[in-house]
Amino acid sequence: MLDAETVVGSGTMKVTCSREELTQKLAVVSRGVSTRTAVQILGGILLSAEGGRLMLAATDMELSLRASLEARVEGQGSVVVPGRLLVELARLLPDTEVSIEQRADEGVIHIRSGSFESRLNTYTAEDFPRLPDAEGLERHGVDRDALLETIARVGRSASRDESRPVLTGILVRFEPGKLVMAATDSYRLSVKETALEGTVPELEAIVPARALVELARIGQGAEQIELGVHENQVVFGVDGIWLTTRRIDGQFPNYKQLIPESFEYEVPLPRDEVLDVVRRIAVMAQRNSPLRLRFAEGELTVSARTQDVGEAQESLPVSFAGEALEIGFNAEFLRDGIDSVVGETIRFRLISPLRPCVLQAEGSEDFLYLIMPIRLAG
Amino acid sequence: MILAHLDLDAFFAAVEELEQPELRSKPLVVGGDPHGRGVVATANYEARKFGIHSAMAAAEALRRCPHAVFVRPRHTLYREYSQAVWTAVREVVPTVERTGLDEGYLDIGEVAADFARARVVAEAVQAAVRGATSLSCSLGVASSKVVAKIASDRRKPGGLTVVPAGREAEFLAPFDVRRLPGVGPRAEERLSRSGVETIGALAALPDGELRRLLPGKLGPLLRDRARGIDPRPLETTSETISISTEETFDRDIADVEQLKAEVRRMAERVAERLGKGSQTARTVTTKVRYPDFSIRSRSTTLPVATDDSGRIAELACALLDRALTDRPGALRLVGVGVSGLEDHRQLALLG
Repeated sequence: MLDAETVVGSGTMKVTCSREELTQKLAVVSRGVSTRTAVQILGGILLSAEGGRLMLAATDMELSLRASLEARVEGQGSVVVPGRLLVELARLLPDTEVSIEQRADEGVIHIRSGSFESRLNTYTAEDFPRLPDAEGLERHGVDRDALLETIARVGRSASRDESRPVLTGILVRFEPGKLVMAATDSYRLSVKETALEGTVPELEAIVPARALVELARIGQGAEQIELGVHENQVVFGVDGIWLTTRRIDGQFPNYKQLIPESFEYEVPLPRDEVLDVVRRIAVMAQRNSPLRLRFAEGELTVSARTQDVGEAQESLPVSFAGEALEIGFNAEFLRDGIDSVVGETIRFRLISPLRPCVLQAEGSEDFLYLIMPIRLAG
Repeated sequence: MILAHLDLDAFFAAVEELEQPELRSKPLVVGGDPHGRGVVATANYEARKFGIHSAMAAAEALRRCPHAVFVRPRHTLYREYSQAVWTAVREVVPTVERTGLDEGYLDIGEVAADFARARVVAEAVQAAVRGATSLSCSLGVASSKVVAKIASDRRKPGGLTVVPAGREAEFLAPFDVRRLPGVGPRAEERLSRSGVETIGALAALPDGELRRLLPGKLGPLLRDRARGIDPRPLETTSETISISTEETFDRDIADVEQLKAEVRRMAERVAERLGKGSQTARTVTTKVRYPDFSIRSRSTTLPVATDDSGRIAELACALLDRALTDRPGALRLVGVGVSGLEDHRQLALLG
């Protein structure tokens, strides 16, 4: 459907479409527009008119998004239009129809809607990066709920630090009967296994977390998500929208080795309650101050103190026996962890104040959140 | 409140004289290379007769006094002497706030009930320092930091100036306004343009005029100080809030790889100092100075604090790249610093 090369360089492009549909599709595609200003054309959206459709594409070289809509095509062609401008304009147009026209060898397009007329400077389509073929690829249907839930559960653990690219990705692996995803920023690790029915694609790839988060956004209303695998890229299809993302090169950490085999303590806690406590106390953990969890006979006390700001503490009953154990955590990491465990009861699996702590739902092994403690001073 | 400001006299030079007595009668300059871009750190009193003073270009000092002896600073040695000085001071006045190797504030009120007794205590401090190290120091005794600081400079070397309570404003009034701590070059310029040359004139400024000359909070703060009012207490546990190091090159360096090698070396030093204090840092800053003396600094803040020299070096180099992208060119100085220090350490799964 979308092969930019065949339509590049034709004479006059003229296309008419519904404003509402254009606005909708632009909203999706524009999220692929590069925010970096260094390469100007990446700030643009490629419009291609062909065979009764108007196709839209944007890419920042890591992630690309494509969508199309029905249109009356009176002249085929393609052109790159500044993305942000087009998005803003489309939304405000007065009439239900929009016509977009580019006459041969003009560096502008004419946008008309009702009595509104504008001329918009453009870039040449030849300069736009060639996007990988999406439709010709072998594709597998993947259960939407399974995919999106898995992304939602692990996504937060991915790193945002570009200096270690592998950690900005999520390890995605299909195994017979299940989908496994893992992410770690080296301070925490999330692993989720989700059962799948039917055949699964053969894939083990490190996919940029932001691409998967974007997929989760697009995929909200869809029923099925299609998946195609390229050597360097992964393509997802959602109701005619194509999201292509680069695969991250490199070796994902062998996360299984990082998970302790046994623990000293298993402390079950009411998940919602402990999440509320942690959220409240975290307010006093400013400027990266640690959250302190003190497990004592029958009582867990959560506290935080920030110099020159203040402090807070709160206790809740707990089935814990033995010598008291105090362990420190980054407040945000702990909150994310408890939040991503689904279930009535959460298990805190502990070894010592300096060893990893694992959070899991009671009676469920399909998800774990491992969090490294903060070594408390003094 | 009765406190004293202690200032060692020509400290670095005095230490060098003690270490090399043959230098004692000669003009002596401790500092950088007089044939390069060095600066004078300290000059002895003999050298000061030629108009040589700290922060002057060493080359200029050489021009003013071609027969002066120039020596490079030996900081480790000075730290040892400083340690001995403060140990001796604490035997007389237990509570002190060190503001540098060679200066600090003493809580005299803790051991003396009035200003007459305070003078005796201050003399005992001078004797203790001389006894322990053979170094001479000057003291100013007053009811506030600002007055004590100016008083210690009043009769150098070996001086002692006591400003009793109630006499602060009168004592400060004749001094040049630039001597008042907190008056920077810009404030001085604004004040002097309106004819405010002395601390006394600043103290007498009416509100409207003050607001016009020094907008914001600075005006009232400085006028209070000019009147001898300075509520700052002694900070006896002065916390480290940042660690940095920088280097001025003998010649401007344009080669990025060479600059990065310098940056990495400095990152190593910064990480080492973090490690010594068992601290970690969240913010890394690279500072650059161009041949026209303009300064730029670029910072980045990590989600999790680190003390890893490799990581700090990597970030500092990336910041150097950013600074050089914004403005390419040779550099006169680079510096690496960390801030947002934490005593806690986030443990990591991966090395």
